[in-house]
Amino acid sequence: MPEKSLAAYEPVVGPEAISQLRQLGDQLKGARVVHVNSTRVGGGVAEILNWLTPLMNDLGLDTSWETVTGNEAFFNATKAFHNGLQGSRFPLTDTMIEAYEQTVAENAERLRGILEEADFVFIHDPQPAYLLELCPNRKGHWIWRCHIDASHPNRLVWNYLKRRVAGYDASIFSMPNFAQSLPHPQFIIAPSIDPLSDKNRELPAEEIDDTMRRYHIGRDLPIVTQISRFDRFKDPIGVINAFNLLNGSVDARLVLAGGGATDDPEGEAVFEEVLLAARGNDRIIAMQLPNDAHRTINSLQRASAIVIQKSIQEGFGLTVTEAMWKSKPVIGGNVGGIRLQVHNHHTGYLVDTPEGAALRIRELLEQPEHLAKIGRRARKFVKHNFLLTRHLREYLTLMLSLRRGLENHLIRVSP
Amino acid sequence: MMRAAEKLSMPFEVKDCTLITRMGGVDSAVNFRELRKRIAVCPTECLFHHFCETQIRPSFDDPEFRNDFAVWSARVMRDRVLAERLGILNPYTFDTLELLRETVLDILDERMSELPYIPSAPKDDDFRFMQAATVVFDCGITLETPKDLLDAVPNMSFGSIYYHFIEARRRTENRTDDFTAWLEDCGAACEELSSAFAAVDFYYLTLPRLKTTLVKVIEQFQRRLANA
Repeated sequence: MPEKSLAAYEPVVGPEAISQLRQLGDQLKGARVVHVNSTRVGGGVAEILNWLTPLMNDLGLDTSWETVTGNEAFFNATKAFHNGLQGSRFPLTDTMIEAYEQTVAENAERLRGILEEADFVFIHDPQPAYLLELCPNRKGHWIWRCHIDASHPNRLVWNYLKRRVAGYDASIFSMPNFAQSLPHPQFIIAPSIDPLSDKNRELPAEEIDDTMRRYHIGRDLPIVTQISRFDRFKDPIGVINAFNLLNGSVDARLVLAGGGATDDPEGEAVFEEVLLAARGNDRIIAMQLPNDAHRTINSLQRASAIVIQKSIQEGFGLTVTEAMWKSKPVIGGNVGGIRLQVHNHHTGYLVDTPEGAALRIRELLEQPEHLAKIGRRARKFVKHNFLLTRHLREYLTLMLSLRRGLENHLIRVSP
Repeated sequence: MMRAAEKLSMPFEVKDCTLITRMGGVDSAVNFRELRKRIAVCPTECLFHHFCETQIRPSFDDPEFRNDFAVWSARVMRDRVLAERLGILNPYTFDTLELLRETVLDILDERMSELPYIPSAPKDDDFRFMQAATVVFDCGITLETPKDLLDAVPNMSFGSIYYHFIEARRRTENRTDDFTAWLEDCGAACEELSSAFAAVDFYYLTLPRLKTTLVKVIEQFQRRLANA
């Protein structure tokens, strides 16, 4: 795949946005930047780093992307951190902490050189957070990027993680509500999508048709889709319940599809629960997709009339952004970053229950013009607020403001 | 008559801007008592953000009040009396943000004295204090004559309009907009246009409406020039 370049985005976002990025890039040219997360495949963070790294390089920064590797015990521990940050109650055991710290320490041996020399280090989510303490001779600014809704964390987990992240120079949260009290500046940067990625680019109609045929999804009825990992926080069972509540009032098919992530050991169990709940209803199609099935997901979203994201906890909800970019109204759970994107009656509907989701599915399918109007607004909203150029601009701005000092309320980028 | 095509001594460089936001460094507030306590100690940058930077923030809504405290009072706390008392405040009429802070605290004290009990915000709807830095970009456009300015405003981005017409009041000595300041060099000939810009009640307008208003001011001025 060719390396991404900013020039390719100009037809989508316009020359002004690209010029602003170039101006910021000129101020940061040559800066050594390292991003660290725990997986290269699957999940929103890996997707973001897939474009963020090459585009920072295109602007003249010297950027690399590293991952921490670990065994099952490590990923079980970090999955527990992840769920704990989202509020799950469970005991945080010494064994978990030991597995976590030992694995990160092993990774630090491999990464210490590049991290200590970097001008800016972005540590994504809790998995690599402990690296800071293991790099005592660090020279640059270290920023902890929390992609998770940490608004009501399990206190045991947060008290542990807070000690790990308090020493950073700054942190980034996706929404003000996600931020926790920390002794350093906490920036608010919403995530974004890449409009030119396989998951979001325009597709030929034939390819969409082929995909639907391949997965035996009939297009004789409108399709309602939830695309997300098989994870209890995404409430796939709630989506099935909502669909069952339609009870023949409108004809539709429900598709539940999602890829796995290498750091998510729970997915298989949840998928089994979904299959069980869908048994006996041939209008419900549940399928697990390979991690690289981006064009398949793109096709499914484009073939859908409505996209659902009925999460009961959500970081930001990039699948919502993706659907809105494809002019689809979204029925989303009234949580997390979904609230930032879905505005009732404007870009979709926020719901708290399967009943609410059923009501809105029915309302939209019965009013095609209303459905189309909401879809158009949704795309426009994403174009202005949630494309990667805005996201990149805010990362660069943060770096510049850390370098120049946070006391300046005016950051002049131009010479 | 205005010398519309005459070069002014200093060119006008058109800028664009955006915000980078961060938490305000004080705890959130779940009721009016906590709101009062936090407003009393929050950095002035927080007051500026919640009163003055609401226009430039990306938003789908066009809320009925311009400042976040009034919006929160109305939408979350369902107290329209307080929302209206806060909503009428125009921060640009205060000499300093400290004076604005005192007024806000007075209004909160007064309202709390009228309430039989202090209600609490629903879960996750507490007021979060934020602050922001303004990031300024060069648009690569230089204006040399008053006519250039008249031609340029209709094509300016909302970020440019915000920076030159609103944010300028924070950084210029006379707390005026950049257009008026630049036209001063033009002397009495441009006074009419400067006065028209100065008369725009910008604070209560969204940026699209503000831009439309400025374009109307320019069109009226140009019509008068043509008829002169």
